[in-house]
Amino acid sequence: MNLFKIVIKNMRQRALATWLTGTSVALGVALAVAILLIKQGVQQRFEQGTLGYEMVVGAKGSPLQLVLNTVYNLDISPGNISWKLFEKLRDDKRVKLAVPFSVGDNYHGFRIVGTTDAFFKDFEFEPGRKPELAAGRIFNFSEAALKSAFQEAEQRAKEREAKERGEEVKPASEPPANTKEHPFEAVIGSTVASETGLQIGQTFIAAHGVQPSAEAKEHTENPWTVVGILGPTHTACDRAIYINLDSFYHIEGHEIRQATAPAKVEEKDNDPDPGQVSSVVIKLRSPIFAFPLYRELNDRQDAMAAFPAAEIRKLFDIVGNIDRLLLAQAILILVVAGVAIAVSIYNSMSERRREIAILRALGARRATIFSIVLLEAVTICLVGSAVGLVGGHVVVAAANGFLYRASGFVIPAFHIVALEWYILAVAVVLGALSGLGPAWGAYRTDVARNLAPTS
Amino acid sequence: MNEVLSLHNVSKSYREADGNLLEVIRLRQLELGAGEQVALVGQSGSGKSTLLNLIAGILLPDTGEIVVNGTDPTKLSEAARDRFRAANIGYVFQSFNLLQGFTALENVLLGQMFAGGHSGTERATKLLETVGLGKRLHHKPRALSVGEQQRVAIARALVNEPPLVLADEPTGSLDAKNGEVVLQLLRKICAENKHTLLVVTHDPTVQKQFEKVVRLEELS
Repeated sequence: MNLFKIVIKNMRQRALATWLTGTSVALGVALAVAILLIKQGVQQRFEQGTLGYEMVVGAKGSPLQLVLNTVYNLDISPGNISWKLFEKLRDDKRVKLAVPFSVGDNYHGFRIVGTTDAFFKDFEFEPGRKPELAAGRIFNFSEAALKSAFQEAEQRAKEREAKERGEEVKPASEPPANTKEHPFEAVIGSTVASETGLQIGQTFIAAHGVQPSAEAKEHTENPWTVVGILGPTHTACDRAIYINLDSFYHIEGHEIRQATAPAKVEEKDNDPDPGQVSSVVIKLRSPIFAFPLYRELNDRQDAMAAFPAAEIRKLFDIVGNIDRLLLAQAILILVVAGVAIAVSIYNSMSERRREIAILRALGARRATIFSIVLLEAVTICLVGSAVGLVGGHVVVAAANGFLYRASGFVIPAFHIVALEWYILAVAVVLGALSGLGPAWGAYRTDVARNLAPTS
Repeated sequence: MNEVLSLHNVSKSYREADGNLLEVIRLRQLELGAGEQVALVGQSGSGKSTLLNLIAGILLPDTGEIVVNGTDPTKLSEAARDRFRAANIGYVFQSFNLLQGFTALENVLLGQMFAGGHSGTERATKLLETVGLGKRLHHKPRALSVGEQQRVAIARALVNEPPLVLADEPTGSLDAKNGEVVLQLLRKICAENKHTLLVVTHDPTVQKQFEKVVRLEELS
């Protein structure tokens, strides 16, 4: 027989109250742990997601929007930049790699990204990790075909503008021969494959717009054929469909309209732009080139550069306040649970006074009685917290399936966050505080009065 | 004779709601030797239970001296007094006062726990076998008859081999037959182990079983 056994017996005697109060503690802790895990996991994943994206260049607008659009396939594109700028960046001695991206369509909500073969051959989404094919091959790419696609897209734009002005429309030019040589081919991410069931050789019809919509126009005239499936990267790549950039510009609605005035006055170049892209991902030869190039690009009127890692940090600085609010809510639940424990034990004190008096008559000291009641409150909190800790991780693990389908990444559900130990400590302190009042009442129990026969 | 219990000029009063003092105990002298068995009788409300609580150190007297086994527990700190009570005084109550969530054996072990002496279950088990509950060790009080419950209470009171055993109306909640069995059992074990036994009662059938009967009124 020992104190702890007495505590357990007391708890079992009031099993319902113990269970209810313990559950409220567990819920509070589970909520706090889940918030912490999700916050840290999402931040970590978002930050990891930026590892391969040293710098992103796109149209003037919100840098965060540019980053979300290019790196995470979220939000809409802030606009286009000229192909000439892409070529300039690609040929810049400071730039090791420049990969263009064009977006504007989706298939069942999965974003279709027009790019070049450099994305598969040279781009590393994390240091040392390139997108690897799980099946099939990558699409064929040639710059000549791309230029031809640009011409066709520009021609279509002219025809549409003429039509809008009510002028006679010249018949559309025949598709260049190289379009037939490079049919509409796509390489799909692992999540796209698992969610849509698309397999090598199957075709699909893209819908216009980056978000699925009932009104969206479908590009029925140009079905894409799946030629490759990427292995899982646990990044946004898993949820993307990569198509040949030239096929992107063969589609109706992806016209290239020339600017009425030259945008790049700095370059004194009045040649018409052959094409446009949504953004360019840059890998530099050395980090020392980052800021000079960043400044140069941001001084332009038609483009801007953004550091994805910095933008994501800024985003989480903002989101952090919401996290703190949720955490405060979880702590409030814990406090309410603590009050519930105090009320529960306090309510049981009238029936316990006799037991306390018996223990005192048997030789238990006041301090021992105080400890028994306090230990009971702490045990409820401790056990509730332990269950809550495990519960929080299980909730995150259970939510991972949904999270993966929605975002393409999972949170390490069974990774222990340092703050969890603080939550455990807070719960124990809370238990002790909630037990203080009833324990003091037990301490002061009048032994002689409570030993008297009740009937 | 070696005295196990000695009381001299002990008094105890309570302040009533109207502010007046109500004296419940005024006792000149009471002495009990080792192994002695005494019935202390008195009318209801005469302060019999208060006297036992004073001897047990649960209450403190306003005046006088109480010595148990050579020690005046009133001069000890409260914590020391609690420990002294656990080791030196066995207490049997009218309403048994068993803890309902604990088995018969665990109730007896509770008595042992606070004395800081024995830690095993052997003595508690043996005592329960002695009182005829060898097969009821793991039954909770609700599963025991009232007679059995009082036998558990006797085993609990005796588990630390206390020199002094106090019994407050030990047969008060039992029928005549059970009351006689329990009282005989208590007296027998105390006699065998040389425990001094002070039984408080107002029941004439209980008084008849004791050679020495002390009337509370005569002590004041």
